[in-house]
Amino acid sequence: MSGLQLQALLPIITLSSLILIQMMFIAFARNLRLTVSISVIALLLTALSFFPMVDHLPISATPLIQLDGFALFYSGLVLLGALMVTFLSYDYLRDQGERQDEFFMLLLLSCLGALILVSSNHFASFILGLELLGVSLYTMMSYPTRGLFTLEAALKYLILSGVSSAFILFGAALIYAIEGKLGFTELAGMNHTSAASGQFILLMGSTMIFAGIMFKLSLAPFHLWTPDVYDGAPAPVTAFLATVSKGAIFALALRLFTTTGLIDLDPLLRGLSFVAMVSILAGNLLALLQDNVKRILAYSSIAHMGYLAVAFVVAGKAGGQIMAMEAASYFLFAYFLTTLLAFSVVTIMSIADHEVDTTNLGDYEGLFWRRPALAAVFTATLLSLAGIPLTAGFIGKFYIFSIGVAAEAWLLMAFVVIGSGIGIFYYLRIIFAMTKAPRTDVKIEIPTASGWVAVVLTVSLVLFGVYPSPIIDLIGELMISFG
Amino acid sequence: MTESPLWPLVVYFFAVIALVLIILGLSSLVGPRSTMQRATIEPFESGVVGIGSSQIPISVEFYLIAMFFVIFDLETVYIFAWAVAFFELGLFGYLAISVFILILVVALIYEWKSGALDWGVKKRVGLRE
Amino acid sequence: MTEAVMVPMEHGLALAAILFSIGLIGVMVRRNIILILMSIEVMLNACGLAFIVAGARWGAADGQIMFMIILTIAAAEVSVGLGLLLQVHRRLRTIDIDSASRLQG
Repeated sequence: MSGLQLQALLPIITLSSLILIQMMFIAFARNLRLTVSISVIALLLTALSFFPMVDHLPISATPLIQLDGFALFYSGLVLLGALMVTFLSYDYLRDQGERQDEFFMLLLLSCLGALILVSSNHFASFILGLELLGVSLYTMMSYPTRGLFTLEAALKYLILSGVSSAFILFGAALIYAIEGKLGFTELAGMNHTSAASGQFILLMGSTMIFAGIMFKLSLAPFHLWTPDVYDGAPAPVTAFLATVSKGAIFALALRLFTTTGLIDLDPLLRGLSFVAMVSILAGNLLALLQDNVKRILAYSSIAHMGYLAVAFVVAGKAGGQIMAMEAASYFLFAYFLTTLLAFSVVTIMSIADHEVDTTNLGDYEGLFWRRPALAAVFTATLLSLAGIPLTAGFIGKFYIFSIGVAAEAWLLMAFVVIGSGIGIFYYLRIIFAMTKAPRTDVKIEIPTASGWVAVVLTVSLVLFGVYPSPIIDLIGELMISFG
Repeated sequence: MTESPLWPLVVYFFAVIALVLIILGLSSLVGPRSTMQRATIEPFESGVVGIGSSQIPISVEFYLIAMFFVIFDLETVYIFAWAVAFFELGLFGYLAISVFILILVVALIYEWKSGALDWGVKKRVGLRE
Repeated sequence: MTEAVMVPMEHGLALAAILFSIGLIGVMVRRNIILILMSIEVMLNACGLAFIVAGARWGAADGQIMFMIILTIAAAEVSVGLGLLLQVHRRLRTIDIDSASRLQG
């Protein structure tokens, strides 16, 4: 193994060794502040360890890991998300029970899984990353000792996620049976080589992988778990699930489908268009019926994953790949900022509550009079989710729309427009609820760390909504070295 | 490869089924009919009378130990695979497995210190009061 | 590789697919969480079998390595599942999944 390859593994090595150090600190000197500081240091050091290799991209270190601009961008997003969730969880967990240190270790482990996932170039690293991400996430979900909902959400997610992992694995086994290879790049250009029976098994395998990934991304026919898990899981963990977990899996799916050429399979592409349309419609329509902020956010995330699937479809059309990747990356960046901000507001609202999270729409009534700043932040988030101009969400949606138009996918675009129209309705409902007369006068404390998270995210939300070109340039630069 | 005939297997299969049917049929025809009696539903019809339910609650520690067993048992799979290919892997393999075992040791120390291996009363090291 | 491989690959894959379906049906039909976890284990092991069969076709170790990874994953999933189960049992005194349905989708 050469020095360069070792360098490419450096982020993973850094994070793993810091997790071990943190584990030892927890074993010998249990101290929540110390644990959280190690977490923050670990995330920052990992981010720093990416810099030495920026000039050498793309590097493939072992057949398992492929580091290119694409992986770099998504690693950055993952680390950003994990850092924000660390701060939120610190405030959320601080006053609950006694053993909170392991939560942060699990958070780092989950983050490690996500990092492996975004740079994975092989089914083995895919599965390992996915499970590292997933298994730590179930444990994080069930961590707080408040109420039964968290346990129930964790159990539900564990069972369904296990099933979907099994689907992905079986699909990979079928592809391996026909092609004899497990690396994504080696698999490029398959499905033109084999006989008819082989073609059938390949299609079966691809469909199973596709179904498994759709489940993890909570796209429409497989979305039923989403609202329950979002509602039951503690707010910071929901934020992690909605951003880091989904973002990493999306990055992997994009790499898997484009490099292996699975996207060229016509039935899959058709299935993807269908899934995108159903997700947009189902997510937006079902959100109208909800009175629970977390559930509304869950359905809205289903719809947002539907918009992302549009980028997938465009990536499958001739010549649309790079363009689609840029659009998807910006959209996901905006989605990260917005969703993290939304859940940080929910977290701040829920900290005082010791049984369940504060999620009923009624609890948010009068927020404008009780805590104007918090309400303003939440309003900015909701406007960004709805895609109103001057927010990052608008640029993201506009980007998706423009590639859709360029690829002449008119039917899909009709769904995007209709979905966004319905979306504005339920986002405005929350905003109107906040302007009503307050029910209680109980003061909402805003803890320091979460407060700063909200401030930073709001500023970037507006900044990149007004002046998005730095990020767009960065994405354009990084996507060149894909593959 | 010589194709061995399939029919002996088929004959064997049906012979087994026939034998089972004959034994069951004969014993129900010839054997004594027992009516429901006082001791019929006892677990050991003419033995010691059982006391209490067999569904006794099992201590949670057993589950914890079972989980540790599952995890640590599987690590041997990897170490075994490395041992089989010891000479081919050379120094790099040795370093890799050392890292692997180091991680396991760290995990074991963690489990020990956090009191997961104690039986009965957990020591619960380092908890804030 | 000698020519002693007598089972064609398709048969092995079919067996794995049958096992996988049994596991899937188990997950959907069963109400007891332990049995659901066991069904997931069956599904994962079916994947392992499929990998072994495919690996035997190519005469490569990849399939067996994937099987080891699957074993590890299954152990991790089930350990966490059992831990959650113990918590549920401690609080609810039952492991019937229907009693854990306060959240309604």
